[in-house]
Amino acid sequence: MPLPPASGTGRYFVKAAKSIRLIRQGCTNRPFYHISVTHRRRLNSQAVIEQLGSYDPMPNTNNEKLVALNLERIKFWLGQGAHVTNPVGELLGLAGFFPIHPRSYMTAWRNRRTERENQAKAEKSTESTTTEV
Amino acid sequence: MNFKHVFLKRTCPMVTQIAEAHRKPRWLPVAKSKIYRIPKRPVISTEERLELQRINNNYNTQMRAIRRFYHEEMIKERSSLQSASSEMSQRLEAEEWEKCVQINDKWNSQVAAEREERRKVELAAMEDFALKRMEVKDAEMKDKIAIASEKIREQKELCSTFITPETLEAAIDHALANPTDYNFAIDLKGNQFPGRDIPITYEKNAEKTNV
Repeated sequence: MPLPPASGTGRYFVKAAKSIRLIRQGCTNRPFYHISVTHRRRLNSQAVIEQLGSYDPMPNTNNEKLVALNLERIKFWLGQGAHVTNPVGELLGLAGFFPIHPRSYMTAWRNRRTERENQAKAEKSTESTTTEV
Repeated sequence: MNFKHVFLKRTCPMVTQIAEAHRKPRWLPVAKSKIYRIPKRPVISTEERLELQRINNNYNTQMRAIRRFYHEEMIKERSSLQSASSEMSQRLEAEEWEKCVQINDKWNSQVAAEREERRKVELAAMEDFALKRMEVKDAEMKDKIAIASEKIREQKELCSTFITPETLEAAIDHALANPTDYNFAIDLKGNQFPGRDIPITYEKNAEKTNV
């Protein structure tokens, strides 16, 4: 018996809760994600209802992380009352389909803060070395 | 036992590959070295917490609105689809279909003309190719025939020297009359010494022995 396709079987229970989530499809040391709609209580290894896009988190030669989205179907599934997980919410926020996810803001300001701190540290170390000399 | 899979299989009778995380089983106790380890809680300042709360509240409100919008959209679409079976919409659809068919026919005829032209050109090219190949083949055959005829001529020339049953007796007589002895020797200057019994003179050796 063949395995169910990663692009989805198209079979679902109407009243069961759905979720739009990232499903890891890559191999070891090479993450690649499908954005799929599936039953909320199903494992990520199980058959999905439908694939709605893909996300490649590794930057390519042009330093791009590629995302593909089937917005029409995402709209359809949102209309059906599908839940959206945080990572997918972030992606959709950056795509301009949703408002920017709070987590995106949080990581951004935290990154900025650590960068500032690192910079301050570096300046301090350079100052100390100059004074020593 | 993992009852989860059994349960899931029953609800969803499909073959699924299940890759479990490779970690230690649930029934094993906490490692001795980790019993008194208390994980550090992340420290979030009040300022950050309040900001997070604010933007999360905003996000949730906006998301609720978006969700409701799409839900209503879905309901609207469904109702409009139900009205799609009316006479008016059917007529419109038929008209559009007609238009599409016309456009499609036009495109098809255009493509057919192009294809015909291309086919002619291709056919001409193929013919040319075949003719060229035939010419090359003919030239090859001609060469082969020439070589063969040359060989035949040579053989015919040699034919006069062949021994036939008529000339067999004469040939035998001739051979017996002129015996050839190949048992000769050659010195460095190319002089032949026929016969089997020739006295050998070792000039240098003889001199040496004399000395």
